[in-house]
Amino acid sequence: MIRFRNLAFGLLLPLVAVVVFAVLLAFSLVRMIEIENAMRVEAEENMLWVLHQSEVAARRLAETAALIDLGEADTDDLALRFDILKGRVAMLNDGPQRRFVEEIGYDDELEQIAASLNAVAPIIAGFSPGDGVRLRAALEPVPRLFGRAANKAMIADWNDLGGRLETHRAQLRQITVFLVGIMVAGGILAAILGGALRQSRQRNMMLRRSQDFSTLLISSSGEGILAVDRVGLCTLWNKAMVGLIGKSAEQVVGRPLIEIAGFFDLAPLRTGVARALDGDTWQLALQPLFGEKDAEPRYVDLRFFPMRNEGEVIGAILFLHDATDRHAAQQREAEDRDRLEDLVAERTRDLDDALRRERSAADLYRNFAAMVSHQFRTPLAVADSALQRLIRRGARAEPGEIVERADRARNAIAGLTRLVDSTLDAARLDAGQLGAQRVRCALEEIVRTVCTRRREAAPERAIHVRRASQDSDVVFCDPAHVEQILENLLSNAHKYAPPETPVSIYLHDDVQNVFCDVHNTGNPIPEAERERIFDRNYRGTNSMGTAGTGIGLFMARTLARMQGGEVILQPGREGVTFRMILPRFDAVPA
Amino acid sequence: MLMGAAAQAGMDKVILQVTGEITGSAVELDRQTLDALPQVTLETSTVVTDGTHSFTGFLVRDLLERLDAKGELVIATALNDYVVEIPMADFYDFEVIVAYGMDGEPLPRNDKGPLWIVYPRDDYEVLQDIRYDYRWVWQLSHLEVQ
Repeated sequence: MIRFRNLAFGLLLPLVAVVVFAVLLAFSLVRMIEIENAMRVEAEENMLWVLHQSEVAARRLAETAALIDLGEADTDDLALRFDILKGRVAMLNDGPQRRFVEEIGYDDELEQIAASLNAVAPIIAGFSPGDGVRLRAALEPVPRLFGRAANKAMIADWNDLGGRLETHRAQLRQITVFLVGIMVAGGILAAILGGALRQSRQRNMMLRRSQDFSTLLISSSGEGILAVDRVGLCTLWNKAMVGLIGKSAEQVVGRPLIEIAGFFDLAPLRTGVARALDGDTWQLALQPLFGEKDAEPRYVDLRFFPMRNEGEVIGAILFLHDATDRHAAQQREAEDRDRLEDLVAERTRDLDDALRRERSAADLYRNFAAMVSHQFRTPLAVADSALQRLIRRGARAEPGEIVERADRARNAIAGLTRLVDSTLDAARLDAGQLGAQRVRCALEEIVRTVCTRRREAAPERAIHVRRASQDSDVVFCDPAHVEQILENLLSNAHKYAPPETPVSIYLHDDVQNVFCDVHNTGNPIPEAERERIFDRNYRGTNSMGTAGTGIGLFMARTLARMQGGEVILQPGREGVTFRMILPRFDAVPA
Repeated sequence: MLMGAAAQAGMDKVILQVTGEITGSAVELDRQTLDALPQVTLETSTVVTDGTHSFTGFLVRDLLERLDAKGELVIATALNDYVVEIPMADFYDFEVIVAYGMDGEPLPRNDKGPLWIVYPRDDYEVLQDIRYDYRWVWQLSHLEVQ
């Protein structure tokens, strides 16, 4: 309904008004042209004057005839006056004048006048005194006839004029009505035009407002917004873009996007713009945007939209959202996750270690039990058998034999004591009760003392000691601990080397340390076990069948480290070499 | 030359008198003298006749120039004492003639002759107006230059 009313007001009414306007205008024009044509007053209309002149000419002819009688005029004058009158009559008989005369019904009279003039022509041609009376009598009715014709002409003229004026008035009234109609139609048109103008102004204003609002939104947006036209030239560049790319709107508007910054020449960007220009919406996340050289890149999320005008794509619009913070947060999250994973792995490792230690503790007790059952039993058996023999011999026993048996028993007991000591040492070490009393020592002396003791315990085993130079064995150490380390290393060498082979000790040094290499010819220790043999209670594969606690090397390394030294297994395939490293006395800061 | 011709033809009938601001203040011209002026033919309709007619005569400006006429106005008088004022400009703006013949025949005195001022009415729309129609003086006898 409203739509129909709009159509009626918007189109039909102005159309009707225009048609009415045009028709009325055309009618007015026709009327006015009619009036204009009627206004052309022709000379023929002036018949009153012509007839009056004719009457005057007739009277003057008669007058001249009279004057001749009086002797005041001549025949030439008479001929002139006659010609003038004839000229008038000739004129009245000509074209338009003749038609008018016929119209007013005076053509017979005109014929009569012409006949009279023809009748008097001979009198005038051969005028003699005395003809005047005759001539005047002959001309007597002519002026009267002209006068009456003039009357009639006047009446006809006025009637005609009256009729014409009446017609003009009617036509003017019509024109007035038409003009009023034209004014009404014009008024309607003007009103419609005014309404349309006002409406258009209002629409323009609304459009401008929404445009201003859009401009405000775009310019104050924190997101970078840019637009390109159909061929990829930049048409819009807001303030946030200036911050992101570092170029002002004046520098970029009207230029191809790929010339503005290398960023826009990247394949994903080019694809996005192309897709938006094809009418698709597209987006990219966390695209790195490199600014100044060496500066950290920013990360932006991009959204591409086509711009349409009545369905047709006229360009593309891009939104760039600075997602650097989000990217950083993601990075941090990933790092935290990695760290957490490391931590979990570490903890797992610790737990594994604890578990292994727990197991090794269980092994320790088991080994300890085995060791006790084996190691302790042997010296006890040795002492017991020596003492049994002494008892059996009784008084028969010779003093030398008694001493020998007693010594064997004592030695066995001494070994047992050492075994107990070392076990206790390990326990003390675990309890943190073992400290180092470091003093200046000559290493070779300690070596010799230990070697002497070893030779007594195992006289069949040869031990060779040699040193690189005479004066380089002064170390800073706890001599008791160093003795213990050497004891352990030598006892190991004795245990694992074939019985007839010697054990060699080699002392040498460098600027920092003094080295003591203990070498035996036993089977090399497999690569996989080289570090593990220093673990507590670990027993290598080649220790099978050999008595031991798996504590010796662990103790040796721990004690060496307590003094700033170290015990390592030297690489090499020739036998087995353990090296004890101790700091030189003069290399230790006071 | 015109003066001489007029003097020589003293016996002939004078048909046009010219007076006023001209050489010698007054001249009387007979038919022969007027024939000596360049002849012009003009085809036009008139308001007192039907159809168009061919008029022969001379240009008024030719006559006025011969007589060295100086003025703004020419007062034309007919035999029946009909008098009109004609602006001098008419003769220079339009080819106004004094006709002595119509359709090849001389104009008789008893029918608009012997001289008739004729405007080129058909050639100029402005001349189709009653304010020009009254300047067509027939039975012309006298011109006074003012």
